[in-house]
Amino acid sequence: MNFPMQLPVFSFFYWLVNTPGLGGICIALLSGGAIIVGSLIVRWVQGGGDSGESETYSYPTPALHKEE
Amino acid sequence: MLKVNPRDKTRLVDPLFAAPGWRFWLAVVFLLAVIGWGASMYLRQLTYGLGETGMDRPVYWGIYMVNFIFLIGVSMAGTLISAALQLTNIEWRRPITRIAETLTVFGLLVASLQLLFDIGRPDRLLNVVQYGRLQSPLLWDANSLTLYILTSILALYLQLLPDIALLRDNCPANAPWWRRALYTRLGLGWKGYRSQWGRLQKAITVISIAIIPIGVSLHTITSWVFSTTVQPGWKSTILGPYFVIGAIFSGIGMLFIVMTLAWRLLKLDEYIQARHYRALGWLFIVMSALWFYFTYTENLTLVAEQEAYEFPVLASKLWGSYSFSFWGMVALMVVAFWIMVVPKLLPALLRRVVVFQPRFALASTGAALVAAFFLISPQPAVTHAALMDLNTNTFGWLMVIGFVACAGLGISFWLKQHPAVSSVAAGACVVAGMWLERWNIVIPTLTHPRLIPYTIYLPSPVEISLSAASLALLALMFLVFFKLFPVISIWEVSEGRVVEDAQSRVEIPLPEPNEPNPLQSWGSRR
Repeated sequence: MNFPMQLPVFSFFYWLVNTPGLGGICIALLSGGAIIVGSLIVRWVQGGGDSGESETYSYPTPALHKEE
Repeated sequence: MLKVNPRDKTRLVDPLFAAPGWRFWLAVVFLLAVIGWGASMYLRQLTYGLGETGMDRPVYWGIYMVNFIFLIGVSMAGTLISAALQLTNIEWRRPITRIAETLTVFGLLVASLQLLFDIGRPDRLLNVVQYGRLQSPLLWDANSLTLYILTSILALYLQLLPDIALLRDNCPANAPWWRRALYTRLGLGWKGYRSQWGRLQKAITVISIAIIPIGVSLHTITSWVFSTTVQPGWKSTILGPYFVIGAIFSGIGMLFIVMTLAWRLLKLDEYIQARHYRALGWLFIVMSALWFYFTYTENLTLVAEQEAYEFPVLASKLWGSYSFSFWGMVALMVVAFWIMVVPKLLPALLRRVVVFQPRFALASTGAALVAAFFLISPQPAVTHAALMDLNTNTFGWLMVIGFVACAGLGISFWLKQHPAVSSVAAGACVVAGMWLERWNIVIPTLTHPRLIPYTIYLPSPVEISLSAASLALLALMFLVFFKLFPVISIWEVSEGRVVEDAQSRVEIPLPEPNEPNPLQSWGSRR
């Protein structure tokens, strides 16, 4: 039995894995996404400094987050 | 202003701002000289092409690729120690997480450099982006490597953030302006509020969860670069987990070496102790056993099937041109396993027995050396005919192995008393053994291709110089980084101190006894 390449789904996957340059787009998307997510995480952690609390701690303990 | 414990300030913060001594500068100059030599060799390779290396048809990958796999393997240490132990809340991890994470980031960066060396023309790296197709395992590797590097840098930075703020707030008055600016900039205005700590710890947990599958994927995908080909010896389904196990194993070995160097050079007796070596040693033993099992399994199928193209690859490792690297690897791994396991099994009663005395080890080593010398040295023709038949030779080597085993027994108690020395010795054996293992995977297959004549590969001086320069670069990165940032995670150790102190004050009661069964006691003597 021949492989049913004429089916659109297989044609699409053939195009997807064989088209030069799509791999580069994949690398750009993944690394770009990782950089954006990483920056957002750092920004979110930094944002905790704007809470205006009076007490600061040099290190945490499990008791610090008991009320959360 | 964030306060730092006076003990931590003396041991971890103040030395960062002290003027570096002559030993530091000597190490920097030496490492820079090796890197400079490597750079000149790279320029030579760039000018004259890859003909300057030992690589030629059909050996397209040489020690650059061996170094690449070895270094990304070593980088697994951070993922395991920092992420996995953090998620499972293992207390002893605290003083070594920073070293492990740094090893991950620097190992990955130097590993990426090997690809640049290997490709010959660096401008062709862009071809991966420009013409890369999704069906290529090389492209999957590029994806995974990029993601792993970015995630590891983020993990290291998040763990470092509170310590950077501590350095910023505890900078001495005479500290140079650029260091103040560096800590202020990187500290991101960290104050240590309750909400800030909450966010940071959540972020660290998320990154720790993400980095484990990313790390495993990188090692697996690197194995797919080999196993998705039809090259003899590579097309194996077990290569993926084998790479992961080897990576964790070499990572722990390298961690033993780096943490001991940090402990001895920076006098960190208070932080890195025997219990850390013991705990990491158990992991090491498990990985060692798994590695032996996978090595056996990997080669078993080749022995069993004796396929026409596959078997010569194995034969070259067992008794052919690569037997030295294969048996060298096995010997190093056996020695590492011995060092870590045998001293733990010996009862204290045996200490006074002469076989377990260091002087017996010395005598046995001497006997092994003398026997090996006679076996290796060329014999006169008549003696050669008389003695060097197969049985005499085999008996001679068995005698050498026996003497070495006796030396191992003799030194066992000494190793038991010196966990750091024994861990470093075992770690060094594993690091060297794992490099040889990567060599045994890459080179014998390429020199034994299908259909074309077999060949041999030897690295050229250019390749050896670039490999040495890569190691020097790794060492220099550590040296500079740990002159700017604390080698021990101050906030994690402080937290651990409070937790351990609280735990030591809690008295854990005995378990509740079960009710005695009347039928069970019936008929028994009172």
